[in-house]
Amino acid sequence: MSDLRRVWSWPLALAGLTVFGLLSALLGEGGVWWGLSWLSLVMPLGAIVFCVVRSWS
Amino acid sequence: MVSSRALKRWALVHKWTSLVCTAFLLLLCVTGLPLVFRDEIGDWLSDDPPYAVLPAETPMANLDRMVETARQRHPDQVIWYVFVDDDEPKVVVGMLPSPTADRTLARFLRFDARTGELLKEIEPLATRSLSFIDVMLRLHRDLFADLPGELFLGAMGLLFVAATVSGIVLYAPFVSRQRFGEVRRMRSARIKWLDLHNLLGATTMAWALVVGVTGVINELSQPLFLVWQRTDVQAMVQPYRDLPVPRPDELSSVQRAFDTVRQALPGMAVTSVVFPGGKFGSPHHYLVWTKGASALTSRLFSPVLLDARTGRLTTVVQMPWYLRALQVSRPLHFGDYGGLPLKIIWALLDLATIAVLGSGLYLWLSRRRSPIEARLAELQAAE
Repeated sequence: MSDLRRVWSWPLALAGLTVFGLLSALLGEGGVWWGLSWLSLVMPLGAIVFCVVRSWS
Repeated sequence: MVSSRALKRWALVHKWTSLVCTAFLLLLCVTGLPLVFRDEIGDWLSDDPPYAVLPAETPMANLDRMVETARQRHPDQVIWYVFVDDDEPKVVVGMLPSPTADRTLARFLRFDARTGELLKEIEPLATRSLSFIDVMLRLHRDLFADLPGELFLGAMGLLFVAATVSGIVLYAPFVSRQRFGEVRRMRSARIKWLDLHNLLGATTMAWALVVGVTGVINELSQPLFLVWQRTDVQAMVQPYRDLPVPRPDELSSVQRAFDTVRQALPGMAVTSVVFPGGKFGSPHHYLVWTKGASALTSRLFSPVLLDARTGRLTTVVQMPWYLRALQVSRPLHFGDYGGLPLKIIWALLDLATIAVLGSGLYLWLSRRRSPIEARLAELQAAE
């Protein structure tokens, strides 16, 4: 895997999920779109917890 | 790859934009935290009497009667606007000492929308003791300095955006030897905090950019509305230019203005009627704000102008792109458009941003042993 891809794949994936999450609650009509929004916006927070726990264990 | 000279320049940008804005950004993040839950806190602290229990289909009381009640209670004030809530059976009449008076001098009378009964009167911000949320909001919006404060915090927001972008550029050379999110906690405290800074920044960068940019746009709302008033609104009310401004007793019925717009725009909900002469409207017209019914269009407010003397509809105003951008910026900055779970996520992302700012500050304070330039040179030497 190239350096570039290794460095950027996670941040870009999380940025993509963030943008999707921000828009899905804004453009979608409640219901499932809200759920998808929460799920995708919680991913960056999950990634932080995962990386910190991994480094500390 | 970014050249080493360019990287050095980006490092300078990151250092200085961050240094200038960090203290203010910390203030914005801390005051923003309770503001995310401002509705919940407001409900919780509220000592308002409960609404009368009435059948769901009870029609709305006459708005003219509520306006009349407000006028009788405060004959020295003018009506600023009448707001009709779509969440609660609530009508709020805002009053000012004069149409162009500062908004902190406004008093608000809250009515039950169905009985027309006055429920509560809220004294002007300038004279009442500020609530906790008032203080947070003023600190967050303008540092108690009105327009200059808004513009200043807008500039700090721009610096934060620049700091974030430069941080993204600097991210790759700092982490190219590690796996994603690795925190080298066994090394020095500085390395540990650098890794945490990178991890938190890299995971939340998109959110920080969106909230930063929309925050800047929100701070520009007064100048944007002023531009609109001076250009579009002026052009629309041009034919009225030489007519005398209507006196309060010449104004046509508010209820009729409300009904006229509702009939003319069946898909839209009327949210408020602004009286003539205000800062952002026309001296000859009622400015009636409407909004759509879908998730997005309920955020896109469209104004309608009605001749304040005759009550006839003058024009349905097309909003310019910059005010549409402002309207979309509001939910994206406030995080209030996806229920309580979204607000909780907003608060957690805000806390992560506080940690990015705090760790950045720590890295700068402990720089003597290892300034960012030296670290960059080291990393490049190792390549």
